[in-house]
Amino acid sequence: MKAARIFVVLMFMFMMMTACNAAPAAAEPNSPGSVTEVSGSDSATTSPDAAAGTPEICSTDAHGCAVFKPGDVVKIGMGAPMTGGDASYGFDISQGGTIAVQDSGEFEGFKFVLVVEDDGGTAEGGAAVANKFASDPALVAVAGHIYSGATSAAIPIYEKAGIVMLSPSASLPTLTTLGSAVFNRIVFTDARQGPPAAEYLFNKLNVRKLAVLHDGSDYGKGLAETVAAKFTELGGEVVITEAITKGETDYTPVLSAVAAKNPESVYFGGYTAEGAVIVNQMKQTGLENAIFFGDDGTYGADFLSRTGANGEGAFATIAPIPADSPEKAAFDAAYLEQFGKEAGTLSPYTWNGYDSVSALIAAVKSVAVVGNDGNLYVPRGALISAVRNLTDFHGISGTYTCDAVGECNTLPPTFVMVKDGAWVPAP
Amino acid sequence: MNETLPISIARKGANVLKYLRPVFGAVILIFIIYRLIQTLLIQEIFGPETWTRLVIAGMIIGSVYALIAIGYTLVYGILFMINFAHGEVMMLGAYTCFFVFEALKNIKVGADHSLAFSNAYPVISIIIAFILGMSVSALTGFLLEKVAYRPLRQAPRLVPLISAIGASIFLQNAAQLLFSPQLRDVANPQILARGSGWKFLINGSSVTIPYTGVFTFLLSLILLVSLYLIVQKTKFGRAMRAVALDKKTASLMGIDVDKTISLTFLISGALAGAAGVMWGLHNSMVYYFTGFVPGIKAFTAAVLGGIGNLPGAMLGGLFLGIIESVGPAALGIDFQLKDVIAFLLLIVVLTFRPSGLLGEVLAKEKV
Repeated sequence: MKAARIFVVLMFMFMMMTACNAAPAAAEPNSPGSVTEVSGSDSATTSPDAAAGTPEICSTDAHGCAVFKPGDVVKIGMGAPMTGGDASYGFDISQGGTIAVQDSGEFEGFKFVLVVEDDGGTAEGGAAVANKFASDPALVAVAGHIYSGATSAAIPIYEKAGIVMLSPSASLPTLTTLGSAVFNRIVFTDARQGPPAAEYLFNKLNVRKLAVLHDGSDYGKGLAETVAAKFTELGGEVVITEAITKGETDYTPVLSAVAAKNPESVYFGGYTAEGAVIVNQMKQTGLENAIFFGDDGTYGADFLSRTGANGEGAFATIAPIPADSPEKAAFDAAYLEQFGKEAGTLSPYTWNGYDSVSALIAAVKSVAVVGNDGNLYVPRGALISAVRNLTDFHGISGTYTCDAVGECNTLPPTFVMVKDGAWVPAP
Repeated sequence: MNETLPISIARKGANVLKYLRPVFGAVILIFIIYRLIQTLLIQEIFGPETWTRLVIAGMIIGSVYALIAIGYTLVYGILFMINFAHGEVMMLGAYTCFFVFEALKNIKVGADHSLAFSNAYPVISIIIAFILGMSVSALTGFLLEKVAYRPLRQAPRLVPLISAIGASIFLQNAAQLLFSPQLRDVANPQILARGSGWKFLINGSSVTIPYTGVFTFLLSLILLVSLYLIVQKTKFGRAMRAVALDKKTASLMGIDVDKTISLTFLISGALAGAAGVMWGLHNSMVYYFTGFVPGIKAFTAAVLGGIGNLPGAMLGGLFLGIIESVGPAALGIDFQLKDVIAFLLLIVVLTFRPSGLLGEVLAKEKV
């Protein structure tokens, strides 16, 4: 009996050790995890009434100053889905941000760093990451979050903490109508993405009977509703609207019900993980002739690898692929060198990730002051208004000027489709 | 608890329950019948082609549930314990499926080394995947019993249950650390490509029976029938049934109880592994959380059929799969509510038959 017990304990320890040893090996080589760990939060503190040498602005600023001693790093946060079926978005956008940090250099000897935390793209994850960021005194701004659901849960927390946000990809229209002072974004909104998609379906593809599916998320549902409204307005018929459950691998029942209505096209508001399953199963549920029309959430390399031949002819709307410029060429080369992939294959937002982080760092540089004691002071209130008043900021994806509610981009989407196993501009 | 309550209160509670239960069941039944008449007879939303598609989808997923449910029922029958780590055993089988096909895809054969092994010899590849998947899962089940349950054999019944939940969390996290949390796609051989299948026309609309689905359904039927034969006809099966009835007496009759229990875990693990490989081939996506939902559903199926009862688990699995698939359409409600329908059905069945659909065997012999 005793021998058996010892065996059990040894066995358990062995299993634990295997798991621990395997952890570093399992981490992706491109993981931005390498830049996440930073010490120094112990010495950086937010206190407007610190010792002598504190600049005057800190005592008048609404949210006080973040204080950095020489040698500390200034943190820019990013909440992104780094695990699960939509992780390619988190990896891609944070990798763009990592390059932005490298390009932005230092400010008076203070370095910047991008801190990426996994929020899983969910509201719960978004709130958890936001609370973590809000309790870090060295964190001055957030380039995010990536998904709308996570972002809407995070906004009130940053609002209270006085941390400014500039999302590269959260496109839910209502995010900027909540009256938040801290939230801004450089992505187009779904109000700009949906109606052109409906027009494209109606005018270019001559679709008259449309089925609308969504994943029930803030983003997917909002987008699907916008498309359905515009499509009906144009004179088309929305034959069925169905919600699916996120994270499942069998949507044949709901697709069978959709097929019974004989739609000419299926519009899906949601992300790649579910979109790819739907495309595969459309072929076996009587929807093989219907056109799959996705959104900026179903674009990317993962969609291609998961759907294979079934994905041919699928459409998506994405943020405008930036025009060629020396900055874009330099970025693409750096991305390929550091992460081994062409920029833009994982998601359409890596350039936005770069722009968002570099705009935030530029804003921090514009408001930060070095006190008489050699410490760096970043007034949070001033930073919030600096980002909101961003004017003619030249990024890779375009030139950004934020309006009164924090919308910094007003470009319409680009249409792409899958042809011969690759995403190409749609005719 | 009853001894500590005044007798009048206890009796009153029992009386209320006695009336409430049939009323509750009847209300749900009336609602279901009303909705069925609405959608089937009055509105006629769906034609026969849709119903066929729904039933096909339900039978495929149901046969996977049945295979996993067998594992729950076998272990419950013999140890009176719910092996909550069973879904994770299935997940490891699905991962093995992914790794085997990934490896075979990269072995190039043929004259110019351009053809992947899995496409050149699909049948052999699939057999390799099943053998490896079932072995990995069987071994996991075997070690699970040795590590997590055997030391607690004499403990109160709640203790191994907690241990099972712990083992489930451990296996999930181990898989996440070992294989990364990303979604993996199984590279099916071309003959089982996703979306391909036999097509035929009903009402002018083409209905597809996917090859992966037929394969899944037939193979699980074969496995289930052979398991039933093993349990009913072989010496080992007799030993298993004897241990399930009475461990002490069985050991007095010269049956090695520990060995029988180990073998039971091996068999239930192998079945879960087969279910995992089928899951990988049919649904294609594998990640560390893959086993959780099928595990819970299969547990439901086992309870539905009468836990501890083999044909019950098979019936419960198929029943649950079909209800899940057909239910929302038949009741004319949102497809997101399919789990609600499945669990509502569980409540209705347990209201009228607390021991499950085929539960008498258990009720008479074991409790």
